[in-house]
Amino acid sequence: MYGRIGLVLLALVAALVWFLPSYYTGLLTQIGLYALVTIGLNLFMGYAGQVSLGQAAFFGIGAYTSAALAVKLGLTPWAGMVAGAILAAVAAYVLSFVALRLRENLLALATLALGIVINVVFNQWEFIGGSSGFKDIPGFALGSYTFDQRAYAILAWALLAVGLWFAGNVVRSGFGRALIAISAGELGAQALGVSAERLKRQTFVLSAVYAGVAGAVYASQASYIDPSGFDFLLSVNFVLMSVIGGIRSLSGAVIGAAVVVALRQLLQTTVPLVLPSARGDFQSFFFGIILIAMLIYLPRGITSRMSEARRA
Amino acid sequence: MIESIWQYILAGVVVGAIYALIAAGFVLIYQVTGLINFAQGEFAMIGAMTAASLATAGMPVFEAAAIAVAAAALTGALCYVLAIRPARAATGVTLIFITLGLDVALRGLGLFVWGTNPLSLDPFTGGSAITVFGGKLPPQAMWVLLTDVAVFGALYLFFRHTYAGTAVRAAVANPPIASTFGIPLRTFAFWSFVVAAAIGGLGGVVIAPITSATYDMGLTFGLAGFVAAVLGGLESLPGALLGGFVLGIVTKVAGGLFSTGWEEAVGFVILVLVLVLRPQGLLGRAVRRA
Repeated sequence: MYGRIGLVLLALVAALVWFLPSYYTGLLTQIGLYALVTIGLNLFMGYAGQVSLGQAAFFGIGAYTSAALAVKLGLTPWAGMVAGAILAAVAAYVLSFVALRLRENLLALATLALGIVINVVFNQWEFIGGSSGFKDIPGFALGSYTFDQRAYAILAWALLAVGLWFAGNVVRSGFGRALIAISAGELGAQALGVSAERLKRQTFVLSAVYAGVAGAVYASQASYIDPSGFDFLLSVNFVLMSVIGGIRSLSGAVIGAAVVVALRQLLQTTVPLVLPSARGDFQSFFFGIILIAMLIYLPRGITSRMSEARRA
Repeated sequence: MIESIWQYILAGVVVGAIYALIAAGFVLIYQVTGLINFAQGEFAMIGAMTAASLATAGMPVFEAAAIAVAAAALTGALCYVLAIRPARAATGVTLIFITLGLDVALRGLGLFVWGTNPLSLDPFTGGSAITVFGGKLPPQAMWVLLTDVAVFGALYLFFRHTYAGTAVRAAVANPPIASTFGIPLRTFAFWSFVVAAAIGGLGGVVIAPITSATYDMGLTFGLAGFVAAVLGGLESLPGALLGGFVLGIVTKVAGGLFSTGWEEAVGFVILVLVLVLRPQGLLGRAVRRA
């Protein structure tokens, strides 16, 4: 079912990009990539019942790996995408030995801290550009055709379709049911023969792969990255996307990403009209309030309302 | 070499004193509500920015400081009433996300009200640098350390020598039984937010003359306060005090010897090590809760 949703969305995007101005095409790409990260996050948070406040770090690792390979070694971004996914996975695997011993409050703290440590590394490591990052990152190409904004949108949503299809299969498999068992209670799941630790680790690594792939595509599409693009606020944005769409929902990830990107756009254009002094990342004020309001009034996200409506 | 290390240690003591204050706020809220308040550092931001902007407008510094602490306390009260109390039926992760939302909302609010430019605040009293065994401290450092003594002293007296303090300890030890004895848990939760916010705000006010104040200072201070609280075991006020100083000194010495850019990372590496190797904190006893 999710495979089909993904294909329909891909077809829609592939048709839309011929009519949209390239600026909006860029936003579509952004939605697709963020949705990919959020799907991974939802597997880890919504299904396995864990929490990660450092997902931007994996997105950053993907972006930096691909950019470094392309700029320093002249490798194609296609290889960079694979390498970015692998490196993000390795990072998640190593970090999981620290982070996944912890639960709830302390897990949130540890992932937040790890995200910030990785950001400090981006900032301090001169080999990968330090605080000024990478400029002129080579774009994707197929043969002699170099990707334009349209091609990036189609690539992002094609990856999203694959990601949705794969996550849909994961969720409906024994693996997915075991994850839900873990979120309901680790001890009980263990008693039923579920190896909670291994499954949590695998899901964490999988979520990093989703983020790493998205980050690698982002680096080439934006052609410029610096550490400030992968900070704590981006991690909070991912959490917001996850919560808006519904933390235990795969299609919700797409809705959440779309809502957040659209909202940010809307706020950036309208708020300065009312308050000319508004500058910087002021939209975090509204995002914070929306996050709180969602959790109080609609804790299972927009999709929970939609499926209730369908049943009624 | 030795002199410069001594100088880093002194600098670490000053920031460590502030980390200890913010950590004390974490511990208070965590003890009373079981909740980790990710917005804790923003109270310091509100305090620092309010005091700095009022003083810049010409208000005497102590009046500005008093109003700033009141503003932080009011913010804490509003956070509890508007965001935490309506969600009290929620479970762990939801509450984490709510306080995370509070954090970014307050940070955005700071940006709206005060903009991106740093504000400075004059030291409370003038005078030249204080010399301690050859190391130098700014005069404001005395105010920072005095604040720690006053706040932790007051907390000690409250918890050990007042009826209300004993009631809070009972509520922490066993909420359901305390509740049957008529101890108002929800009122305590409210006041834990107010007091924690006031302490955080005070920390922001007294450190502002040293570090200056910006709208995004809350995250740095909040996370450092966090690390300090975890170092101290999350459930102990003396632990928070010790954790604050340990963290302040270690990060300043490491930052001074290697590179200040890595300072933040040092704190978090310590955090992760403590979480894994000694989750009960430096002072805590092992296996207090599963």
